[in-house]
Amino acid sequence: MRITIVGGGEIGFAISQALSIEHEVSVIDRAADVAERFEALDVQFVRGRATSPGVLERAGVAQADVLVACTGLDEVNIVACAIASRLGKPRTFCFVSREEFLGLHDDKGLDQFGIDRVVWPEAQLASDIERIIRVPGALDAETFVDGAIQMVEYRLDPESELPGRSIAELHLPHGSLIVAVRRGDAVFIPRGESTLAFDDRIVVIGTPEALRDVTERVTVAAGARRQRVTIIGGGAVGLRIATLLEAADATDVTVIESDPGRGEALAGRLRRTLILNGDGTDLELLESEDVGRSDVLVSVIDNDERNLFASLLGRQLGVRRIITRVSKRANLRLFEHVGIDVAVSARGAAVASVLHQIQGSTTRLLAVVEQGAGRILELDIPEGYVSRSLRDLAPPLNSIVGAIVRGTHVVIPRGADRIQAGDRLIVFTTHEAADQVRKYFANVKSQS
Amino acid sequence: MRLATVVQITGTLVRLFAPALLAPAGVAALYREWDDAVGFLVAFVVTGLVGTAMRRAGGPGSGDVERVRHVDGMAIVAATWLVIANLGSIPYMWAGLGVIDALFESMSGITTTGATVFTDFGAFGHGVFFWRALTQWLGGIGVIALFVAVLPRLAIGGRELFFAEAAGPTNEKLTPQLRQTAIALWRLYIGLTVAEAIALLIAGMPLFDAVCHALTTMAAGGFSPNAQSIAGYDSVAIDWIVTVFMFAAGANFAMQYRTVRGSRVAIAQDEEFRTYGAVALIAIVVLCVFLFRTGIGAADALRQAAFQVVSIMTTTGYASTDFQLWGDQSKMVLLLLMFVGGCAGSAAGGPKVVRHLLMARLTIRELRRTLHPRSILPVKLGHRVVPEQILRAVQVFMLFYLLTFAVGAAIVVALGADLLTGITASIACLGNIGPGFNAVGPMASFADLHPISKVVLTLEMWIGRLEVMTVLVFFRLEPWRAARWGAIHGPGAGS
Repeated sequence: MRITIVGGGEIGFAISQALSIEHEVSVIDRAADVAERFEALDVQFVRGRATSPGVLERAGVAQADVLVACTGLDEVNIVACAIASRLGKPRTFCFVSREEFLGLHDDKGLDQFGIDRVVWPEAQLASDIERIIRVPGALDAETFVDGAIQMVEYRLDPESELPGRSIAELHLPHGSLIVAVRRGDAVFIPRGESTLAFDDRIVVIGTPEALRDVTERVTVAAGARRQRVTIIGGGAVGLRIATLLEAADATDVTVIESDPGRGEALAGRLRRTLILNGDGTDLELLESEDVGRSDVLVSVIDNDERNLFASLLGRQLGVRRIITRVSKRANLRLFEHVGIDVAVSARGAAVASVLHQIQGSTTRLLAVVEQGAGRILELDIPEGYVSRSLRDLAPPLNSIVGAIVRGTHVVIPRGADRIQAGDRLIVFTTHEAADQVRKYFANVKSQS
Repeated sequence: MRLATVVQITGTLVRLFAPALLAPAGVAALYREWDDAVGFLVAFVVTGLVGTAMRRAGGPGSGDVERVRHVDGMAIVAATWLVIANLGSIPYMWAGLGVIDALFESMSGITTTGATVFTDFGAFGHGVFFWRALTQWLGGIGVIALFVAVLPRLAIGGRELFFAEAAGPTNEKLTPQLRQTAIALWRLYIGLTVAEAIALLIAGMPLFDAVCHALTTMAAGGFSPNAQSIAGYDSVAIDWIVTVFMFAAGANFAMQYRTVRGSRVAIAQDEEFRTYGAVALIAIVVLCVFLFRTGIGAADALRQAAFQVVSIMTTTGYASTDFQLWGDQSKMVLLLLMFVGGCAGSAAGGPKVVRHLLMARLTIRELRRTLHPRSILPVKLGHRVVPEQILRAVQVFMLFYLLTFAVGAAIVVALGADLLTGITASIACLGNIGPGFNAVGPMASFADLHPISKVVLTLEMWIGRLEVMTVLVFFRLEPWRAARWGAIHGPGAGS
């Protein structure tokens, strides 16, 4: 595929990095110093304005299959998409940062500007965070196959009954499967005899019912009681999370916003959410509002340092789960090291979603877990594939079949379950093994 | 305040009112009550002359509506109601009432209250009863115009909120759109009046009575040509017909108009209407249970409860039975309803449902703020945030409303009435309801109260009808001290 990327910032770089191995990628950016960064990648770099048709042509837009406009300026992105769709027929992804442009996606603006998908990273981030909040105790949560399969990541806390026993002994409910364990910085795929330890992070795939049982065994947070959620920062992300949580009506939400004017605006738009005017790093306020008793603290200020500080205060006050927004990629790991349960970045979520949509039809990347160390792939088993049981397969190391989708039926497989032509597999694999896995299942004749 | 302008415009309005006196003259002539007919003609001539004289006195150019200022507007509104009430009392005096009684009756009509000093209904002719009904009906029209066009601009008691779509920029005067709104509402008002008259005719009420009741129902007035009010017809059908039309009269006319036209109702109005319906429903159920326990049959209890709840809550004041004879439990329900009132945008009196709604939300907000001192808690109506200055206006309105009620009740009791009579007489007049309990009960009259009490209650009707602040502001010296007769010329004046 020929892919043109407009904008060589963090997002553009991340997308290029992911796609340049398999696809023909060209990048457009105005700044010369950006080019150096792309030298390490196998991409064509075009210097110039993305709003100029000549520049777009030089980057091969006329022949491109996909165009991703991800500069920091919404207007530039929109114009780039509009021009590109006149020059050729690429599928266009347009990054925006304001709600007003989201409308381009569904009303007539779509035809006018030639935009196929509008990507709003903040909105993506908000819905990711909301999904995580909704599963008690979860550090990550995704749903696949229209909600028939869920993936949840937990940390094994001291109250959990899981550590110290082998997986075979745990007798996890049917329909659930531990696909990955992260201990320290190492990610491995457990087997029956593997033993879980305190502070491990485990990724479980299963049906929603089975995962509810697992949740109860993993964490004490899973009660019938409504969760209390405190959101620090009432910006675009904070507002959207609160709006989504209100719509689901399963949580009591408090938003702490330091700007009184913005607070008024939030209070005007939200119905049940309590808006507090104050600083999220003001210990006195956090204590007087009993933030320590929250089940979840979400810190989504647009400043990494303040987010970290607010989150650490929350941890000190005894909040069980802390989700923090991170802007700089480099900070992601650091945040989790110092005790933040979930560090998420708006860009990461958006990049994953765009990559998911760009990548081919037989293999889809459903989710990236553990900051990219693990991935969840969706594979279609081609026609002519000889049916065999999982036990007889020897798939590449570091991969595991998490679920088999057969028509409308979903199976969380055990050794005796069989794979046949036409099946769709949900596979967990490490970053390195992803390609091997793809090839292994695509090859009809591959034998054990 | 520029007195010339006030006098001039009030004069214009008074002159507009004068022809209304010809209608009862015609009715009186029709029934061959020649003496009454002459009285109405005299009143017509006097009213016309007073109006013209006031216009003259103001001098040319002083009636420029474009230059009416805030305080002038309030003065015009207050003066118009007062002058018309005085002139409208002429026919009553002609028919034999004393000055205070005639003024009370006239004010009760023009403010759509329905409190009466008539004791012997046989002593008056058809013309007088028609005049009573007509003043209420015209009072209703005036109040709708006032609420839609004038008070929102004067920002009285948070009024600007309830007609947000009507209130344009403040220095702009009557816009065509505003005029259209008023005309549309009047059309609906007239349509409902005709519909009710026809319905009552079909249900067996005599033509004259049907017309009088239709006129007083729509205005949420409550005058009846029958000494026994609606109870005098002893008809289940009439009771229910009147109940339905009273409920419509107490609802927002703008909302009804839009519903009839099939367009979407503004949520703020809808929210008030839902509350209005809910309060009425709860009160009906409670009252029905109380009545049922005193041995009234279920169907009768429901009919009486529905009629009386709607009648009192919408501040109409008809009686389908002598509720003075009810037990204290049942009376308590009605007494509480006297403090509610109908919806904003109707001719109903009282503090209005929407103000109670806002007060309830303000109370909840203060409770929450006690728990969370740093919280931002806007008060919303129909998903929209209500500005703080409107909330303050509503609170001040409620405070002054209750204060006026308390002062009125204290005076009436001090002048010899019993406690319940004093309390209900005060709220029945301030809220433009009509009947109260005991000595001022539905089958009794205000005639036996102390003359000073009657004057105080007349003032209360006036104050209550004009949303309290409009009148009370002139009880201060300040607007009078700043009053000038002529227009202030030169640039920068009139701001």
